[in-house]
Amino acid sequence: MTDAERLAVDMRGIVKQFPGVLANNHVDFSVRTGEIHALVGENGAGKSTLMNVLYGLIHPDAGEILIHGKPTHLTGPRDAIALGIGMVHQHFMLIPVFSVGENIMLGREPVDGMRLYNRARARKLINDLTKKYGLALDPDTRMADLPVGLQQRAEIVKVLYRGAEILILDEPTGVLTPQETKELFVVLRDLVKGGKTIIFISHKLKEVLEISDRITVMRRGKVVGHLTTRETSEEEIATMMVGREVLLRVDKKPARPGAVVMRVENVTASSDRGVPALKGVSFELRQGEILGIAGVEGNGQSELMEVLAGTRKTTGGHVLLGDRDITTYDARTERDAGVAFIPEDRRGTGLVLSFSIAENSILGRERSSRFSWNQLLLKLVAIREWARRLVKEFDVRTPSIDVAARNLSGGNQQKVIVAREMGSKPKVLLAAQPTRGVDIGAIEFIHRRIVQERDEGTAVLLVSAELDEVRSLSDRIAVMYEGRIVSIESPDTPEERLGLLMTGGGKAREGAA
Amino acid sequence: MPVGSVLFAFVIGALICVVTGANPIAAYAGLVCGGLGIGCTQGENPALQISNTIVFFIPLVTTGVAVALPFRAGLFNIGAEGQLLAGSVACCAIGIKFADLPAPILLPMVLVGGMAAGAIWAGIAGVLKATVGAHEVVTTIMLNYVAQWLVRFLIVGGPLELAPGTSKSHPIGAGAQLPTLLPADNSVIIFGLPASVFRVHSGLFIALVAAAVFAFLLWRTAFGYEIRAVGQSQKAARYAGVSVRRTIVLTMLIAGAFSGLAGAVQIAGVDHNLTDKFFNDTTGFDAIAVALLGLGSAVGIVLAALLFGALHTGGAIMQSDAGISSNLVLVLQALILFSIAANFVGAIRRGLPFGRRASPELPTELPPAAGLMTEAAVPPPGKT
Repeated sequence: MTDAERLAVDMRGIVKQFPGVLANNHVDFSVRTGEIHALVGENGAGKSTLMNVLYGLIHPDAGEILIHGKPTHLTGPRDAIALGIGMVHQHFMLIPVFSVGENIMLGREPVDGMRLYNRARARKLINDLTKKYGLALDPDTRMADLPVGLQQRAEIVKVLYRGAEILILDEPTGVLTPQETKELFVVLRDLVKGGKTIIFISHKLKEVLEISDRITVMRRGKVVGHLTTRETSEEEIATMMVGREVLLRVDKKPARPGAVVMRVENVTASSDRGVPALKGVSFELRQGEILGIAGVEGNGQSELMEVLAGTRKTTGGHVLLGDRDITTYDARTERDAGVAFIPEDRRGTGLVLSFSIAENSILGRERSSRFSWNQLLLKLVAIREWARRLVKEFDVRTPSIDVAARNLSGGNQQKVIVAREMGSKPKVLLAAQPTRGVDIGAIEFIHRRIVQERDEGTAVLLVSAELDEVRSLSDRIAVMYEGRIVSIESPDTPEERLGLLMTGGGKAREGAA
Repeated sequence: MPVGSVLFAFVIGALICVVTGANPIAAYAGLVCGGLGIGCTQGENPALQISNTIVFFIPLVTTGVAVALPFRAGLFNIGAEGQLLAGSVACCAIGIKFADLPAPILLPMVLVGGMAAGAIWAGIAGVLKATVGAHEVVTTIMLNYVAQWLVRFLIVGGPLELAPGTSKSHPIGAGAQLPTLLPADNSVIIFGLPASVFRVHSGLFIALVAAAVFAFLLWRTAFGYEIRAVGQSQKAARYAGVSVRRTIVLTMLIAGAFSGLAGAVQIAGVDHNLTDKFFNDTTGFDAIAVALLGLGSAVGIVLAALLFGALHTGGAIMQSDAGISSNLVLVLQALILFSIAANFVGAIRRGLPFGRRASPELPTELPPAAGLMTEAAVPPPGKT
C-alpha cells in the first residue's frame, strides 16, 4: 500500500474566498485511514468551511480533494455520501416525533415488494449496525424521549447506515455531560477498531488530547500546524491556535469574601413550558466571591438566572439584595438596584443585532440620567463617549462604534455585553455562559475581567456548561440537579465527583441546601 | 432598492402600454406634466399641477409616518385609513359644533380632536395586541371597516348630514379651516389663474413637522430607542427591561394620532366637510406603500409621498393628454409595492456577476417583513 492510498482524505491547496474573508488559504489537510484526526482552531479559523468543502456543501475556488487516493470532484453532499463521507452536525438533524428507527432510515427506507415501509427489515438493519459497533439503541423509542447523548448516537448510526467510512463530527461534545462524553469516546474508539476514520472538530483541547491520534491546527484560514497527539501539550496547541502564548489557567488570588449581598431563599419557578424548573433553591452570595453553578444544561440554571435578573416570575420564595426584598422586581428595577446580567443567549437576548455598538452599549440603561435627560431625550454625545470608552477598555475589535453588533465576531459581541454590564459597576453580576462560543483570546480576557470584578468587591454568580470554566473561576461551586442545588463544593473537588453530583448521584456535603 | 422598485414598475408599466397599443412615452410625459408640471404641451398650468400634487402629498406624509412608526416596533399598522377617517370625523364634529369660535381656539381644537380620535382608533388595536394578543393586522383592518361605515352612517341620513339626500356634512366653521398658502380670492390672478383654484394649504408645514417629529422621536429619544429595540428584538428588549406591552400600546397611540392628524388636516385644509368621496378614500392604504418605499425613514417617506402624490395628480393628465386610462397609475403603484414585497430587485442584483454581495452557496438570512424597513435589511456577511 502506497502512502497516498493509506490516506482516507487528502485535501491539497484548498482555497475558498468569501466576500471580505479568505476562509481557506491554501489548506492542506490529510487524514490517514483508521485514525481519529482532530481539527482544531478558533471560531472563524476556517474549520467549518474546510469540512463543508469535504462534505460537498461548498465548492472551493482552488485545490484538489483525494478520497482514498482517488481525485474526486464533489458537486454536493450526495457525492460525498456516495464516497462514504458522513457528517454528524453540531445541531442534530433529527425529527423529534419520529422513532429512532424512522430517523435513521429517513430518506433510505427499506421497502417491501409493494414499496411500503418494511419495519421489520429496518429494525434488523439497525440492530445489526448497533451490535457491530456496540452502540446500544432501541429503534422503537421516540427520538424526543432520548437524552442528548443517545440522540447523538442515533445521528452516528444514521451516518453509518448510509455507508459512511469517514465520519466528520462537528463539536460533538458541546452538548454532552462528562459521562456522556466518556461514552462517546468509547464508541469512537470502537468505530476506529472497526476500520472507520474519524475527523473530530473541537476547541476543547483536553478532549482533543484524550481522543485523537493526530491534530491539525488552523488559524485565520491557514493550517498552522500538524501535530502528533502523543508529542504535544495543551499549551502548545493553544499557542498555535491563538498565535501567541495564552494563559489556560485563570490566574487569581484567593477570594476575600465580604458581607452577604444576595440571599436566595427557597425560590421556586416554572419553565417556559409551565413545569416546575426551580424546586426550592437557596444560597447566599457574598461580596468579592465567585459562586459557580455547575450542572448539566436544563436543570434549572437558566431559569434561576432569569429569576434573579427579573425576566422570569417566581412562584415562591424570596430574593433579597442586602435587606431589600427584590423578589418581584422586573428587569429594569433589578438593573437599577445594581444587578447586572450577562444573558446566555448573546445573539437573542444580550444584543439587538442590528443596533450599533454604541446603541447596544446602553441597552437597558437608555433611561438612566447618564444617557438621557428626564428619561426623554438621549444624550447622544455622552452615549458615544461611553461606547468609545467601553470599546477601548474591553478591547472590542471594531473599526468604529457605529458598526452593527451583527457584524462583530462572537467574541467581540460578548465583550460588548460584558463591557456594558460590568461598566455599570454592579453589586451583583449574573454571568450566564459568559464565554460560550467565543475564541480563546476572548475567553482569557473575559475570565480576567470577571476575576477583576470580584477583586473589586462585586458578587459574581456564574453559570457555565463548561465544567472546566466553573472549576477554574469559582471560589465555591453549587451543583444543580433537577431544579435544586444538591451540594456546594469547593473548586478543587475532583471532576468525577462533580460529574456524579450533576447527574443525581453522590452524596451532598454539609451545608448544602 | 426603492429606486430599483420604482424603475421596475415603470418598465413593466411601459410594457403594458406597448402591449395594449399605447405609446408609453406619451403616457409618461403625461404623468410628468400632470404630477410635476414639467414639459406640459397641451396648455396645462404647471403651478396648478404642483399645487394639486402637494395637496395629495400632505396626507400621504402624515399617514406614511403613521405606518412607519409601528413598523419600527415590529407592528403592521394597516389601519391608517380608519384612523384617518376617525380624525376626519372628529375634526368635522368639533368644527361644526363649535363653528362660532375664533380660529386661534377652534383650529387647535379640531386638530387635537382629530389626533385624539385617531389615537383612540389605533389604541384599540394596540391594547388588544398587548393584552389578549390579537394580531394588529386583523384588528386594524376590521377597524377600517368600522370607520368607513361610521362615516357613511354619519353623513347618509345621519346626525352630521347637511340636508336629506346630500350625502355630505355641514361645513366646519371658518375658524376651523386651515388657511391656504395663496389668498382664496377669485380676483387675484396668480400664475395666470384665479388664486382660489390653488388648494395648497398650510397643512404642508404640519405634514413636514410630523415627519420631523417622527425622525426625532425615533432617533433622539429614549422611547424611540425602545421602539426600535422592540422592533428588532423583542426578547432582547424584554431582557433589557423594556416593557414590550407598554411600548406597543404607546406606539400605536402615537401612530393613530399621526393618522388622525392627517384626516383632520384634510378636512380643515381642503374639504371643509365630510363628503361621499371619503367612502372611497385610499390615502391610508397608499401610506403603507409610501412607508415601505421610504424604507421607514422620514426623508424616504417625504420622497415616496411626493412620488405617489405626483402619480395621483398625473394620472388625470395622462388620461386626457395621452388617452391612457389613469388606472395605469394604480397598476404602477401596485407594481412598486409588489416589487418591494417580493424583494426581487435585490435578488436580481445578487444574481448578477457584478456587485455580488454574498456567495450564492451560503444561505443568506432573509430579513422578516419588518426588516424591510431598516438598514438591517442588508444580508449579514457570510459566516466562515
